[in-house]
Amino acid sequence: MIQLINVSKTYPNGIDVLYNINLNIGKEEFVFIVGPSGAGKTTLMKLLYREERPSSGKVIVDKVDVAELTVDQVPYLRRNIGIVFQDYKLLPKRTVFENVAFALRVTGAPRSSIRRKVMQALELVGMLRRANAFPDELSGGEKQRACIARAIVNNPPILLADEPTGNLDPTTSWDIIQLLDKINKRNTTVIVSTHNKSIVDDMKRRVVAIENGRVVRDQMLGGYNV
Amino acid sequence: MFSNLEFFIVEALRSFRRGALMTVVAIGTITVTLVIFGVFLLLVVNLGNIVGNVSSGLDIAAYVDEPISLEQAGAIQLELSKLSGVEKVDFISRAEAWKKFQEDFGEKLEIGEVIQDNPLPHTFIIKVRTPDLLPKIAQIVSQKSAISEVRYSGKLIDQMRSLVGVVRVGGTILVILVTFATLLIVVNTIRLTVLARETDIYIMKLVGATNNFVKYPFIIEGVLIGIIGGVLAFIILKISYDSVIFQVSSALPFLPIVAGGFILGIIYSVMVFAGTALGMLGAYISVSRVLKAEF
Repeated sequence: MIQLINVSKTYPNGIDVLYNINLNIGKEEFVFIVGPSGAGKTTLMKLLYREERPSSGKVIVDKVDVAELTVDQVPYLRRNIGIVFQDYKLLPKRTVFENVAFALRVTGAPRSSIRRKVMQALELVGMLRRANAFPDELSGGEKQRACIARAIVNNPPILLADEPTGNLDPTTSWDIIQLLDKINKRNTTVIVSTHNKSIVDDMKRRVVAIENGRVVRDQMLGGYNV
Repeated sequence: MFSNLEFFIVEALRSFRRGALMTVVAIGTITVTLVIFGVFLLLVVNLGNIVGNVSSGLDIAAYVDEPISLEQAGAIQLELSKLSGVEKVDFISRAEAWKKFQEDFGEKLEIGEVIQDNPLPHTFIIKVRTPDLLPKIAQIVSQKSAISEVRYSGKLIDQMRSLVGVVRVGGTILVILVTFATLLIVVNTIRLTVLARETDIYIMKLVGATNNFVKYPFIIEGVLIGIIGGVLAFIILKISYDSVIFQVSSALPFLPIVAGGFILGIIYSVMVFAGTALGMLGAYISVSRVLKAEF
């Protein structure tokens, strides 16, 4: 599903972020990317949906070389990748329903199907009752659920979550990870970057550890540390 | 597509309301520019009209001091009318001229009491085909022995013409400069409304919106700003010009001011169309720039 071949990334200011990364992630896998802040986890994610291009090497998503896509093709790549942010990035003046619907509307989805799909997504994340609330009326956990609903409403085969529990307390964090696990079981490839040790240790999933821009460990059923 | 259009319009109105101050600034800028542009157009049209009016009544008046007989007058008339470029020659005898003068002004001035003798000369009114020929023909006529004096309003016409020329060139340069300045201001103003919605744009792009999809609401917003600016400019220009027409026609009734018709309609519609175009172009440029800077 996702392949990184000898990928390096140097930002224009000369800082090396990723160095010679090789990574293979199969269909419907659940993978934790772990490592200290600044290790390059976020950059790795950005390469997948082409917010960044690799300086060298290949990033292949669903058999397509992402760096080769034209500007016109990039939106169609992104419709296959749902993205969850640490800071949620919900639009403040729109309700939960509108935020989720927004993701469908901007892809030109027919109106008739939007309501049904949004309701399904909200039900999956347990936010149906909060559909008409505005983001600033929500708790952190609720915001993250709304953000996840927006990421999956389009039924993308891949879901990326960049530090999804970074701003949440331990109980809520665990609920959010359970939700991502549930989505993974509905045939979605899920990649979660985190430095939340207890979650990684409890989930016992594949762990890819990055330090100083290098993959230092890639372990099935791993923990946060070796 | 219909549901998309609705989305674009709703998004445009949302942004329009949210950036109230920016919107007002952008509208104001467009209005001011267009009013300047409109004043310039009206100036050129009116100057052209005055020149046209004066030149269409372009005659050379040739005076004869000595007493001449009707036959002599006829001969001179024939001779003058044979000059190339001359369309028509009329002869007004001193007696006719005096009679007409008394009819026109006699009652008011009681001129007959002041002046007993007829002081007016015989006059030939020479109508010329085109205004360009005026100086040349006037010169030829003045050399005829019977003619004592020649008058025409050529100098005034020449001055008016060069004035119109200056206004046209200067005005065109002014309008180009002001248009660029406006475009710059509109681009930057709309850019602020675009930047205010950067998160929206980021999210739109992350969930797979195409660039065009992101652009349309802003372009609609720009068109809206442009139309409002254009209509305001039209209203301001119309009200001001109507009062100018009123003032001029009561204070300077002989000045041929353009008070209506096709050309005014065109100038007024140019306001609205140019406003729309400015708003649309400004929005397009600014949103394209921001999109290029995004990923």
